[in-house]
Amino acid sequence: MTDALRLADGWVLVWVFGTLVVAAIQRRSTRQRSGESWAWTIGCGFFAGAFMVTVWMRALSLAGIPFSFARIALPMVIASIALAVLVRRRAPADDAARTPAAPDVATLSRGGRALLYVLVAWLALRFVTLLLDVVWTPLYPWDAWIQWATKARVWYSLGQIVPFGRTDAWFAANGALWFDASPNYPATVPLWQVWSSVALGRWDDALMNLPWWLVAVALAIAIYGALRESGLSPLGATIGAWLASSLPLANVHVALAGYADLPMAAYYALAALAAWRWSRERTVASALLALLFAAACTTIKTPGVVWALTLLPGVVLALMPRRGPRIVAIGLAVALLTLAVLAQTDPVVLGYRLHLDFAPAWLSLVDSLFLLGNWHLLWYAVIAAAIVGWRVLRSPAFAPLSATVASGLLFLVVAFSFTNARNWVTDQTTINRAVLHIAPLALIWTIVVVHAWLHGRIRTGSRGSVDPAAAASAA
Amino acid sequence: MPRTIAIVSIAAVLACLAVYLALAVPGRWMPSAHERSFGAAQLTMPRGVAAMTGNELIVTRAAEDGNTVISVTTDLRAVDYPVIAWIAAGFPADAHVALLWQTDVEPARVNKRALEVEAGQLLPADLHRDPHWLGRIVGLALVVQGPVEAPLRVRGVIAKPAGALDTLRDRAREWLAPEPWTGASINTVAGGSDVQRLPLPLLLACAIALIALIAWLLLRARGRDWIPGVASAAIAVALVAWFVLDARWTVSLVREAHATASRYAGKSADEKHLAGEDRDLFAFIEKARAQLPREPARVFVVADADFFRGRAAYHLYPHNVWFDPYRNAVPPANRLHAGDWLVVYQRRGVQYDAGRRSLRWEGDVTVPVELKLLDHGGALFVVR
Repeated sequence: MTDALRLADGWVLVWVFGTLVVAAIQRRSTRQRSGESWAWTIGCGFFAGAFMVTVWMRALSLAGIPFSFARIALPMVIASIALAVLVRRRAPADDAARTPAAPDVATLSRGGRALLYVLVAWLALRFVTLLLDVVWTPLYPWDAWIQWATKARVWYSLGQIVPFGRTDAWFAANGALWFDASPNYPATVPLWQVWSSVALGRWDDALMNLPWWLVAVALAIAIYGALRESGLSPLGATIGAWLASSLPLANVHVALAGYADLPMAAYYALAALAAWRWSRERTVASALLALLFAAACTTIKTPGVVWALTLLPGVVLALMPRRGPRIVAIGLAVALLTLAVLAQTDPVVLGYRLHLDFAPAWLSLVDSLFLLGNWHLLWYAVIAAAIVGWRVLRSPAFAPLSATVASGLLFLVVAFSFTNARNWVTDQTTINRAVLHIAPLALIWTIVVVHAWLHGRIRTGSRGSVDPAAAASAA
Repeated sequence: MPRTIAIVSIAAVLACLAVYLALAVPGRWMPSAHERSFGAAQLTMPRGVAAMTGNELIVTRAAEDGNTVISVTTDLRAVDYPVIAWIAAGFPADAHVALLWQTDVEPARVNKRALEVEAGQLLPADLHRDPHWLGRIVGLALVVQGPVEAPLRVRGVIAKPAGALDTLRDRAREWLAPEPWTGASINTVAGGSDVQRLPLPLLLACAIALIALIAWLLLRARGRDWIPGVASAAIAVALVAWFVLDARWTVSLVREAHATASRYAGKSADEKHLAGEDRDLFAFIEKARAQLPREPARVFVVADADFFRGRAAYHLYPHNVWFDPYRNAVPPANRLHAGDWLVVYQRRGVQYDAGRRSLRWEGDVTVPVELKLLDHGGALFVVR
């Protein structure tokens, strides 16, 4: 019991540290002054802290300093105290500058409040259920024990990061390299398990997976915050958080923790949302957050580099609203042409063998997205949103986010149509996990686009191009 | 307005179900006959080898002619039972499986219908248009052509009147079927049983589209700005539909948490592994670890099954383990050094010669070793 408390303390510390970092880098902006950013700050705080603790662990390893609770936790404690002082000093000025807040729970009708409380209880039931699965189930899914936690086990036991290599290199190294099924996979997720184990004081391959549950909880909070800032009422934002946290495949990745796909999805969604926020507000804080989360994407899974690159079209559209679409179109054409040329030589890119043989497995894709139980009604909703919100999603306020979502979907289409990854579509293996990377973002995009479209119709009877900030003030 | 939406929603769902039933029910909607089940105990096995385990017939081998036949004597009116469903699992996707039957009208004739395999299970056969499905059905059989690579589990056969209520009950059973955690769960959530002839998300999406259409027609007829009304109705119904799906899923999650609790709750980390699927392997590796040095040593793992190679390696870390994750391979003998360790677990083709204190495997490779542990299908050696 004591060691479980140490584990909880370890991750609470990471969360508090990350939240203070996010709070400290936030500068005064329109949205922040409206007092709606607490959920966004706290939600993002976990992800910022969870990434930075792994950066610190990498630094310790590089310096040859073995892992210990004190060596990892103490700098976070000191930094947290300093950040808390900094944030507190700035707080009065922020309070004074606050503009009238967007509607809060008190403004809801009795029925609305009741529905909100029911949803919160429903969310609590889900998260308690998932927590029980996480803390009871020893590491279960295949890749988790063949290529992810393998590294964690070695690094925790040796107290430092040691290199892993493929078979030939492993034989040549004569004991200086370790081996597993994917020695080149990034270190962030295994380092979370190492930190859990260090905090716990022992190797426990159930309890070490606590961060997967925290990812789900923190993502739900961050999504609530993002939706509130996009103009949704507390009830609307809670519904959004419920929808996002109800995606069955995401739940499975918590209950059977150990894969990097859910963290990938969370960091990607937050990077895209922070970039979108930057496109609307142009604050340094949003830019820093977007960069931080995009950097984290590249350290979670190998395709994280490509996911981070899919943020670029949105950034280009934000910087150059007029010429941006043309530049993005040219960039995409060049990228696709490069892929086509590369495909002639049958190269392997990020582990995927490219070849110009367009043969997507449509039926399996339809099964995965629309018929099986992976996503509830998500992809029906995405299509509906794209149809009804066609004008909204192309408006200057939404174009950057829409471009990111479109680029992400294009990446999946290319991967599953032109590479050997298509083989994993037909047997329903990697397809769903790859789609999971973009699922939370696609859901948030659907909600904000439909909300803005509907709001525009109700308010003005116009053709529905609404700025999220305008929607917020009207709500 | 909410009342209208609720009424329209119910009507739309019923309309979608009616359309489905019109397409799916092969015979009469309200038949007088009741479902007839024949359990595994009533089955006979003219060809092949099988054993009863619980309420399942586990088929392990085909007959010498390469066929497996499971049969049952019946007395059914063909017209009352247009659908035959074998409750069986474990079939590879390319398996050649067929339903055989005999009737009292053509007693000398054995009729045959190929059966489709989906997710390892046999899809029901709809025979109501088959010209030889007539009179009384006096015998049914399941034939599998080709060797049996992995055990087939047969629980019985059901003759179905396949009326509207039966069809709806079957669909509901598919939607609400438990979905226990398996190795495939991390990749796919079926949303009920592995085989579903009417996926619930599709039904709900069709109903939402129909509701939007009805709302549009109603509001347009009243001459109002129809978009906010239609959108609000569609969104409200979509959220309810999402909640229906989520409720089904949450029940499944709670059920799985309960199963996890009964297996692992209150146990230490080691006790959990001893309650897990690889408990025998874990127990063996624990003994092997006691033999290994404290400092990380080079350990090679060989086993026939991918699962055992990977799991053995996982339990052996932080030792410096090598295994082939994808192929049933042995390490190159010329790269083994004195002091290296070798774990052999349920691996055919690796032989230990106690007299010569050596291991021999494919390619007539011989490695001098010392046996350190022999236990329940596993052995630990150190290279001399």
